[in-house]
Amino acid sequence: MMARLLPTLAVWAVLAMLPLLLGEWELAMFGQLLIYGIVAISLAFIWGQGGLVSFGQALFFGAGAYAMSLTAKGMLPGIPASPWLGLLFAIAAGAIFGALVGGALFFGKGLRTAYFGIITIAAAVIAERVTTNWRFIGGFNGLLDVPPLPLPGGLDSADPLAGYLLVLGFALLAFLFLLAVERSPYGTVLRGIRCDERRIMSLGFFVPIWKVVALALSGGVAGLAGGLFATQFNFVSPAVIGLALSTEILIWAAVGGKGVLMAAFIGAIVVKYMEGYLSETIGNYWLLVTGIAFIVVVVLFPQGLLGRLFKLPTPYRLRGD
Amino acid sequence: MGPSVTADFLNIDGLRKSFGGIHALQGVSFSLGAAGIKCIVGPNGCGKSTLFNVLTGVLAPDSGTATLEGNRISGLNAHRVSRLGVGRKFQVPGVLSDLTVMEHMEIALAARATGGKVWKTLNWRGNRAESLAMLADAGLAEYADKIASQLPHGIKQRLEILMLVARGMKLLLLDEPTAGMTATETQATIDLIRRINQTTGAAILVIEHDMTFVRNLACPLIVMMRGEVLREGTYDEVRADPQVRSAYLGDRHA
Repeated sequence: MMARLLPTLAVWAVLAMLPLLLGEWELAMFGQLLIYGIVAISLAFIWGQGGLVSFGQALFFGAGAYAMSLTAKGMLPGIPASPWLGLLFAIAAGAIFGALVGGALFFGKGLRTAYFGIITIAAAVIAERVTTNWRFIGGFNGLLDVPPLPLPGGLDSADPLAGYLLVLGFALLAFLFLLAVERSPYGTVLRGIRCDERRIMSLGFFVPIWKVVALALSGGVAGLAGGLFATQFNFVSPAVIGLALSTEILIWAAVGGKGVLMAAFIGAIVVKYMEGYLSETIGNYWLLVTGIAFIVVVVLFPQGLLGRLFKLPTPYRLRGD
Repeated sequence: MGPSVTADFLNIDGLRKSFGGIHALQGVSFSLGAAGIKCIVGPNGCGKSTLFNVLTGVLAPDSGTATLEGNRISGLNAHRVSRLGVGRKFQVPGVLSDLTVMEHMEIALAARATGGKVWKTLNWRGNRAESLAMLADAGLAEYADKIASQLPHGIKQRLEILMLVARGMKLLLLDEPTAGMTATETQATIDLIRRINQTTGAAILVIEHDMTFVRNLACPLIVMMRGEVLREGTYDEVRADPQVRSAYLGDRHA
């Protein structure tokens, strides 16, 4: 039983020790990879547990990034310019957008499965258009000079070590939060909805609410990642809210393994890292290689490459022996 | 057929439902006492499935009412009917194919413990002991950790009935519960139905074609024909009824 926990514990231990092994520049880059890891687990949660394939996860991520930037830069009338308040708003914005997309879908008669995917694509494209053309939030150029999060002791998250540890802390929190939800009886019911929602409805669960809550939780975690992105990259642009990033997030989760949070997390880090490496070595062909690798993995390993490795033991209350 | 004021457990009074020109239910009325069992028989297209759809909130009737313990259940949403204690077992095995048997039990027990509410379910701690006890009672203990899609057909059907019991349903609607079963499995299902009825006091309404099942269950029958109740009575009474015989054999000789 303990052996099944080891790979997951090892990942966190290695991530915690990275500052001892890496230089400042690499550490900052790795911190950015962790942010992609957070948004990947937010998708793995609704996709793997609830069976909702979202092609618009960047919508929630982008909503968080813009909420963070606008608040931290003091652009919202009557609201103090505070990065920490911005991060809170980022989570809220992601959750609200998640709930809105969910509400529109599930209370509007029976938009299921493929239709859900199509609507999320449309929502992401619309969001990209709106942000590109809206002057107040920077239009095509986005918003620059988003301040870092101030930390005790006169530090802030622009410091490579402090910034890395901060992001790592939030990644751990997001992971534990979604893990707790999926291992609770709520998670069991959500998996039931994935299998057959009519059956779950006939047992007395009002399924639309369950899906809206799942999307709000997922959106909130994606919004957190977006907020961290804005503050760690110091800028936000329409590229973070559109279809391109949404597709990337989908690839990370699928390659790692959508059914297991840690698998999706590592999937994001590895694929994003490989992308950087490939684009340096083979230039524009990197996209081709990533695409082919994605197709091969999805065809040959529907559960992802790492799902089996990182699968945690079933909670005791769900074990028969 | 008594008037609708009788204090029976389940009262069905004048239910009508049409789909365009097809009159699936043409004023169906009958009642079922607390902890009663009745079996509905009738040829295909006689309105049995439409009746179950109305009783579970899948369809709203055009007119007429169904009440459970005095509460109207006809015309309510499916999850509301379910919360009032009406559970349905579909004809096709309705297990959740990639979930384990223990997960099935947790979902059913959660629905009872939390009333199907999101927040309460998030905070609910589960009930492993009760899951295991119920599985043991139903003879399914050895399957606890199995994935539902790998279960034998008969076990799937019994798991589904067991979920309704775990949910705490007061009225079980079983739609051809032994379809596709072997004789042994059918007998095991009859035993399970009787035991559930005796230990939980749940009332049970069964749709079934299999006459061996109907005879062995030995409960009052309701014969439906063209959207109406043709006859109620015991197995022998119904079999001897000339109207039922002519309905089943065709109208030419009547």
